[in-house]
Amino acid sequence: MTGITLAVPSKGRLEELTRDWFAQNGLTITRPGGARSYLGAIDGLPDVTVRFYPASEIARELIRGNIDFGITGRDLIHETSETGPASVSIAKPLGFGKADCVVAVPDSWIDVTHMHDLADVASDFRSRHGRWMRIATKYINITRQYFAQAGIAEYRTVESLGATEAAPASGVADIVVDITTTGSTLAANGLRVLEDGVMLQSEACLIVSRTADWSDERRAIMSALLQKLGASSEF
Amino acid sequence: MSGAAVRRAQLESLVEAQGACRASPPLLLSADAYFDLAGEEFGRRLLLTTDTTGAEHCLRPDFTLPIVQSYIADGVGEPAAFSYLGPIFRQRETGPAEFDQAGIELLAQTDGDVALDQVLTFARAALSIFGVAPTIRLGGVGLFEALLVQADMPDPWRSRIRQRFGHTEALNRLLARLAVTHDTDHVSQPSRDALVEDITEQMVAAGLSLSEGRTPGEIADRYLEKAMLNDSHVPAATLKLLNDYLAISGPVLQSLTRIEALAAEHKLMLGAPIRAIRRHLDGLGEARVTFDASFSPRLDYYTGIVFEMTGANDEILASGGQYDRLLERLGATAPIAASGCAVWVDRLESEVRA
Repeated sequence: MTGITLAVPSKGRLEELTRDWFAQNGLTITRPGGARSYLGAIDGLPDVTVRFYPASEIARELIRGNIDFGITGRDLIHETSETGPASVSIAKPLGFGKADCVVAVPDSWIDVTHMHDLADVASDFRSRHGRWMRIATKYINITRQYFAQAGIAEYRTVESLGATEAAPASGVADIVVDITTTGSTLAANGLRVLEDGVMLQSEACLIVSRTADWSDERRAIMSALLQKLGASSEF
Repeated sequence: MSGAAVRRAQLESLVEAQGACRASPPLLLSADAYFDLAGEEFGRRLLLTTDTTGAEHCLRPDFTLPIVQSYIADGVGEPAAFSYLGPIFRQRETGPAEFDQAGIELLAQTDGDVALDQVLTFARAALSIFGVAPTIRLGGVGLFEALLVQADMPDPWRSRIRQRFGHTEALNRLLARLAVTHDTDHVSQPSRDALVEDITEQMVAAGLSLSEGRTPGEIADRYLEKAMLNDSHVPAATLKLLNDYLAISGPVLQSLTRIEALAAEHKLMLGAPIRAIRRHLDGLGEARVTFDASFSPRLDYYTGIVFEMTGANDEILASGGQYDRLLERLGATAPIAASGCAVWVDRLESEVRA
């Protein structure tokens, strides 16, 4: 097989911005079957097949090597698997889809401004309240890694698939780890980002799979294409 | 029989010969207990599955927890010994997620020193079946706790330092932070009552429960304590003591001599925990033994002495020690002495092939 598979976010603002970005680089992504089709192409590049996927599936498939390159958020690469960052190569950050993955605590926790405060609170939370400190998040892997670095082991994550910012008020969790662009949703819910609580600065990136089956021929096609896109051609 | 099968049979006999009850806990266990005991860091290693009610189960990731749980459920108090050999399941960076561990657990033994000796002897015997002459790395949890109690510093810092013991970066960050002297321009703090009122208002406005999690009183207390701690420095001499102590690592006798010198210099009574370590050295005979002052598992139920044995591949082949706080953590009503170890059978087998 000599073809290359490109995965593009399948809907919404991210799809639009991705297609705009390719257009700025002289490549037109077409979706002949319309918005309901999951297969597309790039005009003038018969070697490239375009597939439309949800952004989180793009991260997963890049890590597994089922697709060759694609556009998705850096956060999703880190979250999908511990081996995610090592399994892919970030060829180019694209400057859109920016968001921070942050640790936020209730405003009323006036004694907690840094991660080291959180370490102290977590360490005796269990003896005070008979349970571990709970963190609501959908970013379980990123949270585990960041908290491990900070030396915090005494907590439980509660998986939250939507409206994470409401978890402290609903009693599901004590604090949250969430993605935010301006912080206004967190602030509106009485939550404050810790001063060293930015775990990851994410944005949409052009990402190449390292685990895909790279024959010399396919690698050459991929490198040439990356060069054309002004991206790093090493992967 | 192949070499591997002979070694396996010998290990099997060693496990049987411990005068202990052979334990074979179920393969499928409730995941909650592991998360509760060891937190998310260990939790990410579990192989999880969910039943139709939504309850989470994991494939047995170690033997200690189910052994100790069933011991507590049977009514604690009597000395007991358990040994095991069988598969456990953990997500690992390399190697299959299913692999064998052998080990012993000695609970409520009257003499903790004798129990630890049996554990060390078991681990060395297991390693010698595979022809491994290990390097043994000792850590002194009891020793560090004794030092910390006596070191001159404002009390609230002790628990903060203890909590980071075993996590070198976090502990170094804290010590570095303590070394910076703040020029706090003594802003007068609001009264505790005023703080509690303020915090209560904020919590109510945000819709937070005043009793389910951190309470206004608890937050106010820690806020005031933090402000107080910013003013109450850990003396520079104590920081030097801690840094000097934690840097000690090397051949055991040399290390213990350095610790004795530090203790003399700072007028600390560390005789008992140092003697406890020395007592075990005879039994370790000709093995290469090192002592690493900063070495401790990250779990706060470890006490006394902990150890790791490594082979030529530098991989941990056996690890264990004393964990007198474990049974209380799991629901026992009084502290119960416990020690034990686990031996990594697949790594031992690869030492043979290496």
